[in-house]
Amino acid sequence: MKAMSPLLLLIEDDPQFQRLLSTTLETQNYRVLGFTSGQEGLIAARNSQPSLVILDLGLPDIDGQEVIRRLRKWSEVPVIVLSARDQESEITQALDNGADDYLTKPFSTAVLASRIKALLRRVAKVPGGAQEIFQVGELKIELTRRRVFVGTQEVSLTPIEFNLLCVLVRHAGFVVTHRQLLEKVWGPSHIEHSHYLRIYMGQLRHKLEADPARPRYLLTEAGVGYRLYEGEN
Amino acid sequence: MNKLGSGFYFPGHDKEHILRHTAESPYNPVIVQRTDHRYRHLLGGIVIPLLLTLMDWPFREILTSSNILMFYLLGVFFVAIRFGFWPSILASLTNAAAFAYFFAPPIFSFAITDPENLVGLAVTMVVGTVTSKLAENVRRQALVAEHRERRASSLYRLSKALAEAHLETEIIEIGVRHIHAEFGGRNTFLFPDRNGALCYPDAVPLEISLRGADLDVARRAFKHGQTAGNETDTLSGETTLYIPLNGSTGTIGVLALEPSDLRQIFLPEQRQLLDTYVNQIVHTLERANAAEQAKEATLKMQAETLRNSLLSSISHDLRNPLATIIGAACTLEMDEDRLDEGSRRKLVAVISEESQRMSDLTIKILEMARLEAGEVVLNRQWYAPEEIIGSALRRLDKKLANRQVNIQMANNLALIHIDAVLLQQVMVNLLDNADKYSPAGLPIDISVQTTPLGLSITVADRGPGIPEGLQHKVFDKFFRVNAESAQSGVGLGLSICRAIVEAHGGDIQATNRSGGGALLQLHLPIQDYPPIVDPEEKEPIL
Repeated sequence: MKAMSPLLLLIEDDPQFQRLLSTTLETQNYRVLGFTSGQEGLIAARNSQPSLVILDLGLPDIDGQEVIRRLRKWSEVPVIVLSARDQESEITQALDNGADDYLTKPFSTAVLASRIKALLRRVAKVPGGAQEIFQVGELKIELTRRRVFVGTQEVSLTPIEFNLLCVLVRHAGFVVTHRQLLEKVWGPSHIEHSHYLRIYMGQLRHKLEADPARPRYLLTEAGVGYRLYEGEN
Repeated sequence: MNKLGSGFYFPGHDKEHILRHTAESPYNPVIVQRTDHRYRHLLGGIVIPLLLTLMDWPFREILTSSNILMFYLLGVFFVAIRFGFWPSILASLTNAAAFAYFFAPPIFSFAITDPENLVGLAVTMVVGTVTSKLAENVRRQALVAEHRERRASSLYRLSKALAEAHLETEIIEIGVRHIHAEFGGRNTFLFPDRNGALCYPDAVPLEISLRGADLDVARRAFKHGQTAGNETDTLSGETTLYIPLNGSTGTIGVLALEPSDLRQIFLPEQRQLLDTYVNQIVHTLERANAAEQAKEATLKMQAETLRNSLLSSISHDLRNPLATIIGAACTLEMDEDRLDEGSRRKLVAVISEESQRMSDLTIKILEMARLEAGEVVLNRQWYAPEEIIGSALRRLDKKLANRQVNIQMANNLALIHIDAVLLQQVMVNLLDNADKYSPAGLPIDISVQTTPLGLSITVADRGPGIPEGLQHKVFDKFFRVNAESAQSGVGLGLSICRAIVEAHGGDIQATNRSGGGALLQLHLPIQDYPPIVDPEEKEPIL
């Protein structure tokens, strides 16, 4: 198994862009299966069991959102969506539908490569069970003992602040949408109460960041959600 | 003289008289007095002669009969002038009776024995009647003149008010108010909407506006260009008139009028006045529309000019990097073997940089086009300004790596209702500009203030600043302070900022700061107060 390089499924309708991505990814030692329509992509996902799916949201036959929904009915395969700029609502919807990460066009292939790597690493890690300690830079979080340190200094958090941080830690390196955070921390009844999230995120930053106006760990993805910095790969 | 038509209606508060033609004298109005006034006036025709009789009585030995008759005649004049024709006739008769009874021998009898007295009395009565008639004519002419003057001045007031109005809503309001003042009751103007169906105007109705007009009847009037509704003064249930507004190019709308007295509207004189009112209002509306159309044409022309400058700007700004990219790529493709490693790297770097620049330009152009097209609907959410600044700074992380950015922020966790993505774009553009137009190494200062009134953000650099007189021009599309410089940019960054800030109901200004450098300040008003957040039990976890 280990000798086999990971198989990536690429669903992208622009042939030139597909050629570029295939070439780039193949040089990085991935196997790439490319399709230009959602239908073909879904069939291939079922037949060839890829390690990861890269999906363009604007497809000629089925809506990209629909592809994610159908895929998620039977598969947990990581999905990265590609979207044109300025479509935050599209991106948010894709993430809420079950996509794991997103990139807006134009993007650098280096960023794509690092996102793919991070997702594959996360998938590999999951069977090992819950993580005990999360550490990045000065920030150290002991999940089961519910303790948080900045440097050597312990920081006291309220239960909600800690729960919020926990959700982000579980998805460290990946964006978590406002909706997902609100649902996981406050419950389904608070999905529309995004102001709760802003206030607690502000409080967390003031407790954990050296300069809350230029955060290093708790990063805002405007219009989409939050991402906990995981460190350079 | 008598183009006055066949009837008069005296408007205003003292609707004392109605002049109306009778069948016998079509051009000779007769005063018809309101009943209560008529009795009072007739009473005057009896009381004045009796008073004169009382005054003359003590002097009956001194005065001759002709003297007494003269006094009576004076009384008749007075009554004619004060109360009108019929009271003066009554006064003449009362005089005759009183004279015969009290003064002409035999006294205390209606008999008159002296033929001189009989002749005197007869002459007095004739003279009295004739002069009464003359006085009455004078009196009526005065009334007619007064009425005409009132009509003329009401028309004058209307046209004066209309002359000062420019907007359709103003004109309609003036029309509604003046028609109400002149004809009483309630009225409103109905105009066709985009689909040609009549509807109420958009403006907030006045307290005197008519509501509940019958739109079907109004549409009939509109379609045929003829008055509809209660078309005669018969007493049908319908009390509203629908008068088409006939302009030079067709019917432009309908006046729905429910006058305080429907019968009076049907007096030709009144109808004529109403028609004059309507014509004046229609002409003013047409004039305003023509002005509006001229303005639209000018705007269209300006948009055309702008589009041309957009095209020339885009073609210049996109062609150059494209030429570079194509050239570099071709060289790489054709002369692959002859290029050494260093040259190859250089060419690849050029392609990468230029395409990045093109990407930035394209994004800006598309963003501006999107904002211009009015397609952008603000997705307002509650955000702390600190977060917006933070995410904007992170997007510029690489660019600002070697620059000191000072942030001054008060009340930094207050929430404000804004479109975070767009406001982040504003911050990115402002910071990018500050970076682009100030020498490397000099600091950029950001200050953020949230007050109950609004959010103020300033971004200031220590560059050369903006030349005097150009401070408001920097927000114009495709304007660049130094158009010839190689500084990349289409001159859209600040235009985008302004469009976004204005979409939020705010404003943005550029000034120079003391000590040198440009200072851009935006202000967003607070429109809603943040929702309340239930406090969390405060015990910290350990």
